[in-house]
Amino acid sequence: MFQNEQIYQLIPQRPPIVMVDTLWSATESGAETGLTIDESNIFVQNGVMREAGLIEHIAQSAAAYAGYSTFSQGLPPKLGFIGEIKSCKIHTLPAVGSQLRTEIKLMAEAAGVTLIAAETHVADTLVAECQMKIFIKED
Amino acid sequence: MEKQELIKKVNSVLAEEFEVEESIITPDANIKQTLELDSLSLVDMVALIENEFGVKIPSADLVKVQTFAALYDYLAERA
Repeated sequence: MFQNEQIYQLIPQRPPIVMVDTLWSATESGAETGLTIDESNIFVQNGVMREAGLIEHIAQSAAAYAGYSTFSQGLPPKLGFIGEIKSCKIHTLPAVGSQLRTEIKLMAEAAGVTLIAAETHVADTLVAECQMKIFIKED
Repeated sequence: MEKQELIKKVNSVLAEEFEVEESIITPDANIKQTLELDSLSLVDMVALIENEFGVKIPSADLVKVQTFAALYDYLAERA
């Protein structure tokens, strides 16, 4: 498990744009990440996290998953770019203090592009879901 | 699955997903050109193949699968 500042070993983002604070687990087929929403989070407005924040959280969750792989090889995290977002549904905007828990499933990889499916929950409530294509920039 | 049956299913699935006429899918045709795949949509084809046929195509193998004939052979050996 990677938590708080340990996550910097997995993702290239730095405060104030760090949108994942925990990597709970990672396997060949996916990962589980988390984020506790702080009121100082730049995507918080009127006490809730906005849609863009949820999407960025999912993207950084995918980045943390990719970063775990490179970290295991003793390499620094690589830059990743969102190539496409589809089937995106934001069901609710979570309040400050909520703990997001996101499951990332690796669906396919081809030519440097990774297709993932993500679901974000707060406790048992589904908050957001989407598929995302991430392009990882090779050195 | 018999190879002819496999070919028919591959053509049908790809034509529907990428919205092309099945008639333009021929064994010697280039997959990327025929289905108008770019670097982002190529991964959709890989995911579709895995879902429909249970065959994962690693990136290292994907570079060898340029034509539909190569794809049929690849799947016939593994499906």
